[in-house]
Amino acid sequence: MTAKTKRFARRAALLAAPLAFAAGPAFAGQIAQKCGKDGHYVVAFSQANYAEPYRQHVNNDLIALAKEIPQFELQIADGAGNDNTQTSQVDNFITQQVDLLLISPFEAAPLTPAVARAVKAGIPVIELDRKTVGTPGKDYTAFVGGDNYKIAYEAGTYTAKTLLPDGGEVAVLEGLPSSTPAVERLNGFKDGVKTNAKIKVVAEQAADWLPDKAETAFSAILQAHPDIGVVYASNDMMAAGSYLAAKGAGKETQVKVIGTDGLPGPAGGIQAVASGQWAATFTYPTGAPEALDLAKKILLECAASVPDTVTVSTLAITKDNAKDLDKKLKF
Amino acid sequence: MMGETGTTIPAAPAPTVRPAVRRDPLALIVRFQSVIGLLLVLVGGIVFSPVRRGHLLFLAPDNIANIVRAISETGIIALGMTFVIITAGIDLSVGAALGLASVLAASLMVNLGWGILPTLVAVVLAGTAFGAAQGYISTRFRLEAFIVTLAGLQVARGLALVVSGNAYINISYGDGPGFAPPAFSVLGTRLFGNTVPVAALVFVALAVVATLVLNTTRFGRYVFAVGGNERAARLSGIPVGRVRISVYALTGFMAAVAGIVHAGQFNFGSANDGAGYELTAIAAVVIGGTSLFGGAGTMIGTIAGSVMLGALANILQLNNINAALQLLATGAIIVLAAVLQAVVGRREGTR
Repeated sequence: MTAKTKRFARRAALLAAPLAFAAGPAFAGQIAQKCGKDGHYVVAFSQANYAEPYRQHVNNDLIALAKEIPQFELQIADGAGNDNTQTSQVDNFITQQVDLLLISPFEAAPLTPAVARAVKAGIPVIELDRKTVGTPGKDYTAFVGGDNYKIAYEAGTYTAKTLLPDGGEVAVLEGLPSSTPAVERLNGFKDGVKTNAKIKVVAEQAADWLPDKAETAFSAILQAHPDIGVVYASNDMMAAGSYLAAKGAGKETQVKVIGTDGLPGPAGGIQAVASGQWAATFTYPTGAPEALDLAKKILLECAASVPDTVTVSTLAITKDNAKDLDKKLKF
Repeated sequence: MMGETGTTIPAAPAPTVRPAVRRDPLALIVRFQSVIGLLLVLVGGIVFSPVRRGHLLFLAPDNIANIVRAISETGIIALGMTFVIITAGIDLSVGAALGLASVLAASLMVNLGWGILPTLVAVVLAGTAFGAAQGYISTRFRLEAFIVTLAGLQVARGLALVVSGNAYINISYGDGPGFAPPAFSVLGTRLFGNTVPVAALVFVALAVVATLVLNTTRFGRYVFAVGGNERAARLSGIPVGRVRISVYALTGFMAAVAGIVHAGQFNFGSANDGAGYELTAIAAVVIGGTSLFGGAGTMIGTIAGSVMLGALANILQLNNINAALQLLATGAIIVLAAVLQAVVGRREGTR
């Protein structure tokens, strides 16, 4: 774009401004109100709750990646697992007129009005991991997240093909009953193992995502079903609990443990697989790189449209890649 | 420590020595400590406010609206809590009662198809009755309010889980079964050109009423008298038992209103909602200069204490300062408020 055409474009935009204003904030064919390669942009992230290992992992990922984009200034607010707190934080971000809002809503319906206010104020909104009510691309700009069902389905087929090709007994530890991710992961895994008719799911217990409950539950399961070959835990923390239970029963070589989330660090699944304690874990991706890519498109490249849903795929962490990954994450 | 129902040791010095309050300058500061604290926070807010296009963000009308909206629910609860604490009581059940009220409101409208008015009346009556029952049990059996309302907290959460069937209830608006009347969504909107949140208006209106009730009515005087010296109050013919039951009915009422505001703001009813709100409300009351030993306190102090906590959280976030500092600051303010009170209390006691 030459200087002349730029000036023309600006004048045209000025003339069109009143019209565009009536039509809504997304004017002049771009999503952001202010954009361009040379600007400085505040990217705000409203996180549902810091006090969960997975959410910490998301924060760390975003912070590390945002540092590599000099135009971006990342601000994170802790919703503290409270809809009112998170709503007031979104309201404050609107007051600050941040350039883009990333949000992982604590609960869907309660955060919907706050997201609507941000959209009305002309702020592009990217939802991360959890959605509010409405349609991405219409009620907010885009959704970036993993597919719980697919991730657990892959864990199921991995069990069916690689861990127990000749069949055997399997136990499943579910997250908090009736919560969406718990239900999706349970169904995904069960459908995945169905691909091998010789596998039987002999036990299904809820352990509310917690390692101590998982240890208690799996100890009891092992008493009732001493021949279990695989335990699928719907998150890494419950997988850690199941491993302790298997070890307590002296069956840590017989029982193969599968986790979900693939968290880094000493308590996470990647090291547990690298050290040979677990058979595998399936990452639930943070979506941070994908979300920041969208943010770049919107703010730096003045995109007129972006994909409204970005599903991030899982990575199976097994003994083949765990050690390399673990080293890479330690830098 | 608190809530000595029934008997008070006659030898105990009466905490309400009003004439002393007038003479002691420190007591005057304590009396208005939260107003002073609020002013300090406001000045700090103005000094540290980010500036955008020549305007202070902190003082922007929508920012002030945001502050008041954010504290509306805990603020409403704190109003009721002030009455209870002035009688030397405590109510730990209010956060859970908010959750129960939000679930009840959502369930009556969405699951049973009730209209707005019957729903509001039923929820408010249920909350008031719940509070009154706790007041009755505490008074009748001379139990510490701490214990009775701790039990009440569990009961309210349990009832909320029963009403909601162990799930949360989304409120969507429209006609017919499964929908709430659209007018209920007013609670989540903003009036006057999309600036003034209705939730904040409810808080402001109740704050005015609560101030008037405490300061100008006979009931308000009774509340001070019961908390100051129960024996003297009884001897002078004040219906102590009824006053005690009434203040718990009042906190139940306020919790129910806050629960309705919550359901309307967030289109949601959940048994987990309002968890920990009782502690925020107690903090606001204590910062407001109301004594946990009863007999002394002001409603304006509670209101200032609530707004102060909200303004503090707001200015810290506008400057992108993390939540840890906010908790540390709140803790320090509570300790400071309590220390000031204790010092003044001791001085009064020695006179």
